[in-house]
Amino acid sequence: MSLDKLKFESMQRDIQNELLKLKEEEESLFQDMNNMLNQKLFLDTKIKGLAKLVPTLKVVKHEAQDLVSTINDISESSEKISGKIRSLDAARSRVSECQHRVSDLIDLEICSQGVQTAILESDYEKGAAHVHRFLSIDQSLLQRTATDVENVSGMLKSVRTLQDAASQLQAIVEHKFNEAVKNEDLVSVERFFKIFPLLGMHEEGIKELCTYLRTKVAATAEKNLKSAITTPLSDKRYSVIYADTLTLLFEGLARVVDTHQPLIETYYGPGRLLCAINILQKECDIQMKRVLTEWTRARQINKKIQLITELSRMSSSSSFGKLEKTDPKDLDILIGEITLMHFRTELYIRFIQRKVVSDLEVGVQDQDEKGKVLKSLENLIKNSDLTHSKHELLLHYLRLEQYFMEESVAKAVSMDCIEPSQQTSSMVDDTFFIVKKCIRRSISTGSLDGICAIINNACRVLENDFCDVLRARLRQGYPSGYLDLTQAYNVLQSSIQQGRLQASDTEQTRTAFLVALNNADSSTEYVDALCDSVLKEIEQALPTMNSNEKGKLESCLSGLSSVTTNLKEIIEHGIQQLRVSAIKPRINPWVDNFTSNNHQLTEDELSTYEAGESFVQTLIMNLETLLSLFKDVLTTANYDAFVSVLTTEVTQRLEKVIMKSTFNRLGGLVLDKEVRSLAGYITAATSWSVRDKFARLTQIATVLNLEQVSEFYDYWGDHDGALTWRLTPSEVRTVMGLRCTCNELIRRSDFKVEDIKRLKL
Amino acid sequence: MDDYKFLFKVVLVGNAGVGKTCLVRRFTQGLFPPGQGATIGVDFMIKTVDVDNEKVKVMGPLTTHFHTLTLVLQLQIWDTAGQERFRSITQSYYRSAHALILVYDISCQPTFDCLPDWLREIEEYASSKVLRVLVGNKIDREDREIPTHVGEEFAERHNMYFLETSAKEAENVERLFMQIAEDLMKQARSRDLPRYDASATSINGRTSTVSDSSCCSKFQ
Ligand SMILES: Nc1nc2c(ncn2[C@@H]2O[C@H](COP(=O)(O)OP(=O)(O)O)[C@@H](O)[C@H]2O)c(=O)[nH]1
Ligand SMILES: [Mg+2]
Repeated sequence: MSLDKLKFESMQRDIQNELLKLKEEEESLFQDMNNMLNQKLFLDTKIKGLAKLVPTLKVVKHEAQDLVSTINDISESSEKISGKIRSLDAARSRVSECQHRVSDLIDLEICSQGVQTAILESDYEKGAAHVHRFLSIDQSLLQRTATDVENVSGMLKSVRTLQDAASQLQAIVEHKFNEAVKNEDLVSVERFFKIFPLLGMHEEGIKELCTYLRTKVAATAEKNLKSAITTPLSDKRYSVIYADTLTLLFEGLARVVDTHQPLIETYYGPGRLLCAINILQKECDIQMKRVLTEWTRARQINKKIQLITELSRMSSSSSFGKLEKTDPKDLDILIGEITLMHFRTELYIRFIQRKVVSDLEVGVQDQDEKGKVLKSLENLIKNSDLTHSKHELLLHYLRLEQYFMEESVAKAVSMDCIEPSQQTSSMVDDTFFIVKKCIRRSISTGSLDGICAIINNACRVLENDFCDVLRARLRQGYPSGYLDLTQAYNVLQSSIQQGRLQASDTEQTRTAFLVALNNADSSTEYVDALCDSVLKEIEQALPTMNSNEKGKLESCLSGLSSVTTNLKEIIEHGIQQLRVSAIKPRINPWVDNFTSNNHQLTEDELSTYEAGESFVQTLIMNLETLLSLFKDVLTTANYDAFVSVLTTEVTQRLEKVIMKSTFNRLGGLVLDKEVRSLAGYITAATSWSVRDKFARLTQIATVLNLEQVSEFYDYWGDHDGALTWRLTPSEVRTVMGLRCTCNELIRRSDFKVEDIKRLKL
Repeated sequence: MDDYKFLFKVVLVGNAGVGKTCLVRRFTQGLFPPGQGATIGVDFMIKTVDVDNEKVKVMGPLTTHFHTLTLVLQLQIWDTAGQERFRSITQSYYRSAHALILVYDISCQPTFDCLPDWLREIEEYASSKVLRVLVGNKIDREDREIPTHVGEEFAERHNMYFLETSAKEAENVERLFMQIAEDLMKQARSRDLPRYDASATSINGRTSTVSDSSCCSKFQ
């Protein structure tokens, strides 16, 4: 029962839930319906509005259809129009071509009519102008016209007339040109020259003109050469007459090129100059060779070269006698003429290059074409007799100049003389004058190879011939044996004052030695100056040298530096000889005197010593005498080197004798003072610092001058007061040991061996 | 900073057309030039050559230490014209040459026959200490006229080095110049090195050449 009731109750709850849901649904449906009803009104008015639009839409549709058909129409007609325009264009170009042909035909007619009249009237310019017009007509077009036009025969006739006229005119102009040439009628020559290009005869025109110009050049050259050959010896241009002749030839050719180049450019167009120069060059080659042949004969070049070759094959001593046969002055003048001839040739070649290149710049734009023309210019120049003759001139120049330099230097050396009051002898000035002269002359040839060869030769002459003489003189040695120093000094002085050295052989050998030493020193300055000035002059003379050429030149100039190396070796050798023979034997006894003094002094002994002439005073006095003997006779640099060697000798010797002596405090004090005054004296005697050479000695004196051993630490170590020691620790101990000797007379305590041992160094 | 700079002059001689210019171009530029004209006077080229750097013992005042030297070797090559008319120019370069290369063409007997003339010229103008090398060029050619052993014997008889080359095929060219460089280097080293100190500049501020090989006599 209760189970049923439970069942019922649950059923009832379900039904009520269901009911509630239905009610809610009904309510929302009702709401929806209300909304719809509300919208109906709005929709109705919309529909009414749309219905009204329907008839308008129909109109629009019609209009759109109309538009489409209109556009179609337009497109169709525009298609038609553009077609018409195209055919119109074609028509127009045909018309213009036609006009062109008609005008050609008309011109053809006019030309053919005019040309004959012009020829008959000898108006060749007019005739040529007609032919030029005819030639400018496209011949193939003319051919086509002929097939189109009905009146063929008339046109063909005109063409034939003109062709005939052209060849007639060509013949006439050529003939007239030659006639003008024959009559020397310059106006007509120029007149007909201008007509050639109108007839299409560019190459012929240039060839005709240049052939004519060649004859002019040849005639002038002939005349000039004749007058050169007959020039009397007394003429002041005699010595350079062939250089003058060559100059006239080149100047004439240059003038020809300069005057005709504008004519060619104007009437033939730019880029044709090389063609002209090619022809002119043939005449230039011929004439240059003729001048050279005459020159070779007149100046007896071959004979001279042969003689030189023979002479240089002999030993230098035997060649010297024969030198007189070839007058060096004569040779000098001849060399001058050759350099002038070479330089003129070089200038003319540069002129041609410049002219052709600038003509090319105007006329030819295509780079390949330009390169080709430049190449053929290069070949023209390289293969010309002009260039070969130039090389031949340089060859002669070098042979003669080398000989001249060698022989002149040999002469300068053999005629060497020592002027009194001069530190050096004449051979230095003279040799460098010659060498400089030769190098400068080589610069005036304008050939870098020539300059380099002469510089190389100068290096050889200086390094061998010149330096050998200095070496030989120094090898004689500096005689050391003499009795009394002041006496020797007086001999030298008086002989210098008398202006002649008539002293003993020994004295002469001494002077010769010192002068050779000075010569070597002053030569190093000459070499430096030569190198500088030559480089400057070459850079001025050859401003367009490229880096390779500069390298070549510098390499040759650096050969001069090996001359300097040689000279420095010679000087060093000479100074060492002086050390052995003039310094050492004199200085040793003076310095050794040190050992004869007592260096363990009492106060009394100290004052006595200081009152008298001290060791260092005597030494300085002796050195003074020795130095004064050399001071004025040696160059500054040599004297400095001399003092330097002397200082080394003195300091080393003094160090040696100090190590053999024993000192007390006062002895050390005196030594310190004496070293200082010696250093002071030598510093004053020379221009360089002697500190370095005195460093060891000064330090030895410092050690010997210490109050007590421990005081040494003031100078040793890393602190501010410390010195840079030149003595090793063991040397310091050895020097200190010199203060250890026992002597009963010493009242003060001196260094103890144990203290020195205990020193931490 | 170069510690040492060696500068050697090498001069090439021999008849015109034997290939001197081609040998130099091959070595300095690595190419075989097509149809260049005959050399006029002398041509000048520089090639810097690598050399192994070396350790040297440096004796200081207090200590001795090892220092690696930078060595720079420059070959100055002078290519001369073979023709007679340039002889006085070319001869002037013999004297300062450290090495002379005498070239002939293995396919051209006359160039070989001229060798004695060239040797005479070398004897006359060059230093007696100059390094002399005989070179038979153009071995790429089929039409050989001088067998190798003939050249070799000639070189031996005249106390020269011998090498056959082809500038065209780059055969032995590098070897030729490098051998010369090494030899000259060895010569220079056997003398005192410090002489060629880079700090020792010449008048032009350039490094001085190895001047020792010039023929002048020296003090003993
Ligand atoms: N087949 C061949 N031809 C060469 C060689 N070296 C040079 N030639 C040619 O020989 C000619 C002359 O060369 P060149 O170097 O101007 O001779 P140079 O006068 O001694 O300087 C040129 O035509 C070169 O091409 C080579 O190794 N082999
Ligand atoms: Mg060559």
